[in-house]
Amino acid sequence: MKTYTVTFLPDNKTVSAARGKTLLEAAEAAGVTITSVCAGDGVCGKCRVLVKSGKVTAQANIFLDRREIQRGMALACQTSVEGDVVVEVPIETRIGGVPQLASEDAVRFSRPSELVGEKACFPHNPLCRKVFLDLPPPTITDCLSDKERVFREIRRVQPAPVMQMGLAVLRRLPGVLRDGEWKLTAMLGWRGETLEVVDMEAGDVSDRNFGVAVDIGTTTVVAHLVNLNTSETLSAKAKYNSQIPLGEDVIARIMCASNPLRREKLKELIVDDINDLVAALVQEAGIRLSDVTFILCAGNTTMIHLLLALDPSNIRREPYVPAVRSCPTVRASEVGISIHPRGLLSTLPCVASYVGGDVVADVLVSGMTRSPDLSLLIDLGTNGELVLGNNEWLVCCSASAGPAFEGGGIRCGMHATRGAIERINLAEGGRVVDRTVVDGGKPLGLCGSGLIDVVGELLRIGCIDRRGRYMPDRCGDRLRIGEADEPEFVLFPSEETALGRDIVLTESDIQNLIRSKGSVFMGAECLLDYVDGTFEDVRHVYIAGGFGSYLRIPRAIDIGLLPDLPLERFRFVGNGSVQGAKMALLSREALKYAEDHVADMMTYLELSTHHKYIDGYSSCLFLPHTDIEKFPSVMKGKA
Amino acid sequence: MTMLADAKEKWAGAVNTLTLGATAGEGGTRTSTVTVGGGTGVPFMRFDGATPHPPVVAIEIWDREPDDWPAALTAAWGKAVKSPADWARKAVEEAGADLICLKLAGTHPDTGDRSPAEAAAVVRSVLKAVGVPLVIWGCDSEAKDNEVLPSCSQAAAGERCLLGAATEDNYKTLVAACQADGHALIGLSPIDINIAKQVNILISEMGFPLDRIVMYQTTGALGYGLEYTYSIQERGRLAALGGDKMMAMPVICMVGQEAWRAKESKATTEEQPTWGDPALRGMLWELSTAVTLLQAGSDIMVMRHPQAALGLKDMIKRLVV
Repeated sequence: MKTYTVTFLPDNKTVSAARGKTLLEAAEAAGVTITSVCAGDGVCGKCRVLVKSGKVTAQANIFLDRREIQRGMALACQTSVEGDVVVEVPIETRIGGVPQLASEDAVRFSRPSELVGEKACFPHNPLCRKVFLDLPPPTITDCLSDKERVFREIRRVQPAPVMQMGLAVLRRLPGVLRDGEWKLTAMLGWRGETLEVVDMEAGDVSDRNFGVAVDIGTTTVVAHLVNLNTSETLSAKAKYNSQIPLGEDVIARIMCASNPLRREKLKELIVDDINDLVAALVQEAGIRLSDVTFILCAGNTTMIHLLLALDPSNIRREPYVPAVRSCPTVRASEVGISIHPRGLLSTLPCVASYVGGDVVADVLVSGMTRSPDLSLLIDLGTNGELVLGNNEWLVCCSASAGPAFEGGGIRCGMHATRGAIERINLAEGGRVVDRTVVDGGKPLGLCGSGLIDVVGELLRIGCIDRRGRYMPDRCGDRLRIGEADEPEFVLFPSEETALGRDIVLTESDIQNLIRSKGSVFMGAECLLDYVDGTFEDVRHVYIAGGFGSYLRIPRAIDIGLLPDLPLERFRFVGNGSVQGAKMALLSREALKYAEDHVADMMTYLELSTHHKYIDGYSSCLFLPHTDIEKFPSVMKGKA
Repeated sequence: MTMLADAKEKWAGAVNTLTLGATAGEGGTRTSTVTVGGGTGVPFMRFDGATPHPPVVAIEIWDREPDDWPAALTAAWGKAVKSPADWARKAVEEAGADLICLKLAGTHPDTGDRSPAEAAAVVRSVLKAVGVPLVIWGCDSEAKDNEVLPSCSQAAAGERCLLGAATEDNYKTLVAACQADGHALIGLSPIDINIAKQVNILISEMGFPLDRIVMYQTTGALGYGLEYTYSIQERGRLAALGGDKMMAMPVICMVGQEAWRAKESKATTEEQPTWGDPALRGMLWELSTAVTLLQAGSDIMVMRHPQAALGLKDMIKRLVV
């Protein structure tokens, strides 16, 4: 087989690739990340690259127009190598940049310090403690063995019926005790009900005890470094999940993971992400990596499976059974995560295949289980997870919303990173009055909140009808027929954008959003129907998810994503997943509560077999809803 | 002995009342008008609620001689099919049509491609020939209908006709035309209760009054989806009676068009020697379809065969006694 070289710009990375390999495969081999929603099936149109020189053959596709093909634009997954090639990866296709961290408002609400500590819901009782021990040296009358002597001393400060100490620590114990003149710091980690003496050091280093809370999102990974002694958050970092090129959503990842080699690869990618984040956190806070003693991860069921390299394939096969719901605490190094070499790794328990520890964390943070009021929690992402309940019961479901909220499947859609339009106001005729772009600067595309804003605004000013079709006489010259023979609305002409390419919204984009919002709203209706309730009964609506904080509630109601309730009933949880992980890290009681009173309390409703879901879904495919009476404020606004 | 009170269903809503056709005093030239709807209970259940305006029968005529109708059907009309005006007159005089439903089949690009002006001339000729109200139906080509129907609407301005059909993908032009010329409008949906309601909302959002909309939820003939049509229409009617203002429109059924598509109606004696007289067979197929749909809640029945139309009128009379 003939092989050629493929060079990727601007990274200037070169690999050799066999003839017929796709540019996407070559990029993966070169370690160049290219956005791909469909993982190479040729159906998403996101892996656009520019072939600068060399011979390639490209499959026909519907995503590129004639002008673009003439310029050398190609889809990486549909283009194969036929000679030595130089390829440029444009900004839009690079998975770069740093995702936004939840805004201040969202972080302020329910800071863990309000929920963990004195007078708070949960006592401060971290999963790992460092205890300074000043042991009485053995005498002829007190001749307990070294290990029992340490255990006896620990039990004076920390009740623990079951304790254990590993062989590696045991071997070092006699030396550490005597070299340190019987003064040492024991690092104590909880593994369920067992207290492990994870490690010991001579002298008093009990003030150096840090933990990392991680939210492993399908799209974004967020980590917070916490001082386990003081509960203080020292730094926070986020990055995109490096598994994205192997599939944008969980289903694509599960399919990818059915191959054991790929499963291992997926594990390595997420472990590398976590290691990168931890290293950056530690550097920023100026502490030692070995002082990070515990790492707690919250993520959806699939992400947790992939982190632990468990086979997730049954998650997507009926009857949708995960390998594990609640994972044991393990040594972080066993998975490949670099913290203290003997440091521990735990995960928040999941509920079902499509309701994971991230949702458990959301519920924990929202506090909905501590009030008799009925609350509804909505975590907006690729899967819209919904939880309904109060201090006595919880029901949950997962509505597959599709990637629209993450900017996927949208012509000019993107993640909420630099250049993403997150808010927009339009005037009559569709003129842009003002907009907010992440990190300022010229706009690059629309993220989920921007998309909801745009569609809400277009509806308000009458540029689209309630079915999401453009009204040509209201749109003026901003409306045109695109290459795919479909009406599209020019939000920003090329000269106003970062890439010099028009930012448009097509009718299919709007249809995608309508399907996404419809499935979330219908999921909520099904939960209420299941418990014989109505939206009026819901006293609080909590909105979780990184993107949630930027959402404008009135717009989301206008398009029928959120129920038409008084605005004061809505609250943002922000990134509940990382906050919940942090709470559990700081309080064993919170972790136990998450297991016993959240995860185990939740009744999972499978929507795919729920007759009402199928029936009612199509009535949600309207703005805001076919049963427009369900949105009285929208009706009133119109009148 | 104590008498037990009748158990009555209580309904919160009613079907909209709609009058088609405008007399000279009302700005038109019709000699008779037709009023449909107004029902406050399930059809023909007089003990529950009134049916103030019984269903009416329209006869479907074409602007060109139909070439794909079964012989048994065209034979019933004779030479009249060659002229829309003669056909309309015959339909009123011999088949007792309450309305004429003029289908502009000849404007379709594939079958005549007649111009908007020609279509408008046909509309004028039919209006002149008969005094009953008119239903004007396009040729089911969206682009062509958007050219033709506005000029027909204009030609019949003030006559309070019923024009169709607006779909969720193509409603703006027709709504604007009907609004300008004072007509009522048919909203079409493909046997889907959600879309039926969505079409009504879309139309009303353009400022078109709800009480001038008629729903066409698509008709299925006996043996060809009648039960789907039936249950969708029934659900729609129950929603209307339940107080859903967006579903309270009277309903039109294209009975003849569907019934005469069935092979049971079309088959000749040579093809099916054991199925009996084709003239009678097709007519009965159409009548059975119509009678069934009456029970589901239908207001304007569009028929093709004169005998089926007369039979249906007789049946309606007997049901509302």
